[in-house]
Amino acid sequence: MIELDAIWTPALQQQCYRSLLQAMSYPGQVQRLPASGSENATLAILATLVDAEVSLSDHDCLLDLDAWLLLQAQKSSSDQADFILCRGDLAPALNPRLGTLSSPERSATLIVRVASVNDGNLRLKMVGPGVKGVLQRDLEGLDPAWLSQRQQWISAFPLGVDMLLVDQSSVVGIPRTTQVEVC
Amino acid sequence: MSTENRFGFLDEYAKKEVRRTALKAVAIPGYQVPYSSREMPMGRGFGTGGLQLTLALIGAGDTLKVIDQGSDDSVNAVNLRQFIEMTCPGVNTTSSTEDADLIQSRHRIPEAPLREDQLLVLQVPYPDPLVVVEASEDKRKQMHGEGDYARLLVKLYEDIVQFDEITLSHRYPTRINHHYVIDPSPIPRWDVPKLNQSSALVLLGAGREKKIYAVPPYTDAEPLVFDDIPFRVEAFFDEHGERRACARCGCRSSFLDEYVDSSTAEPVYRCSDADWCNQQLLVGSQAGLDKEKSHA
Repeated sequence: MIELDAIWTPALQQQCYRSLLQAMSYPGQVQRLPASGSENATLAILATLVDAEVSLSDHDCLLDLDAWLLLQAQKSSSDQADFILCRGDLAPALNPRLGTLSSPERSATLIVRVASVNDGNLRLKMVGPGVKGVLQRDLEGLDPAWLSQRQQWISAFPLGVDMLLVDQSSVVGIPRTTQVEVC
Repeated sequence: MSTENRFGFLDEYAKKEVRRTALKAVAIPGYQVPYSSREMPMGRGFGTGGLQLTLALIGAGDTLKVIDQGSDDSVNAVNLRQFIEMTCPGVNTTSSTEDADLIQSRHRIPEAPLREDQLLVLQVPYPDPLVVVEASEDKRKQMHGEGDYARLLVKLYEDIVQFDEITLSHRYPTRINHHYVIDPSPIPRWDVPKLNQSSALVLLGAGREKKIYAVPPYTDAEPLVFDDIPFRVEAFFDEHGERRACARCGCRSSFLDEYVDSSTAEPVYRCSDADWCNQQLLVGSQAGLDKEKSHA
């Protein structure tokens, strides 16, 4: 028998999904992902969302071959992919799908790895659906160029991209409707 | 894997698809995201859209409430609840709105305000409000994208010209986050304001029409109206202009169902939300007890 980490089991993926849904519904709020053996939050998120039906781009080569085999996702370039995994500490150099006016859901979901979603030297102010009033979020390990680039991607609602910022154990959602400012 | 030991009936690929779809639905408030609705062991139109959402969301340890027109005991609610109990071992079910973290509902939003740690799933028969004015789905998708609801407003205007009032009693077109207009499922007008700036996420699933959409928490949800004709909810006033009370619990602030007393042929009004009615009775009897105590 091959010993697999808990992130490949349906029960953990269900718990992980509820954290992701909560993160997307309440942008800026930190959602802890369920504990698994590996403490690899990005891989847990991919295991939850991805299968052979969708395409994945590993833009900054963060996945090893074992992960690719278990995910079964179609390998794709970042301008075609449904899901894009990338590093937050590097300035974005990609051109994700933004969807179309009549099918805005055909847009990429970016899974961005950062050092911390709990504190750090980048303070963001967020407003929009899912945020009660205004919310502040401190981050570590996100190049500020992401925010200006994102501003361009989301400039024509309903087109845009949705982001999940992930550190070792937690996730913060930033859907296309959230207005983000650096303060 | 046989269905007997598969948690939540749906296979994991089906659940993943529903989950991805629901995430996009939350990210694009009010937009109807298409998905490949699976065959369920019940007819389409019996809440299969809501059921697929619930099965993709639920896990052991969740507490689920299923209601149909406010009641936990009507046929649709009982059937769906039993099916979920049978296929999801480890899930608790309840009739209490307060105790539930997942609520699946047909045609009502509970009277008690929902919280951030709760999630409401609504069953939807007809997801697209534009279907009454445009037959082609391609064109409707274009209109939704452009936020073009002129023809829908004309339809409402024609109602006002003909009847001096917009005559929709339920499924009232509601604009989400100032862009997409949704069909909020056949909830009465009374429930529409509850979608506005709600603390809880509302997911809507249409199984037959293969669409999932969402009203995220803390999001504006405005019924379509004209500046000079405000939106009105049901008014439960009797002939003397007094607000009717529930015949069972005496509540004067809830949505009432009208029954006919079979012996007197008189109309009787009772709370539509069964759990709310029970809670009011409890509060009432507690108040009565306190009164007795203070007299003694």
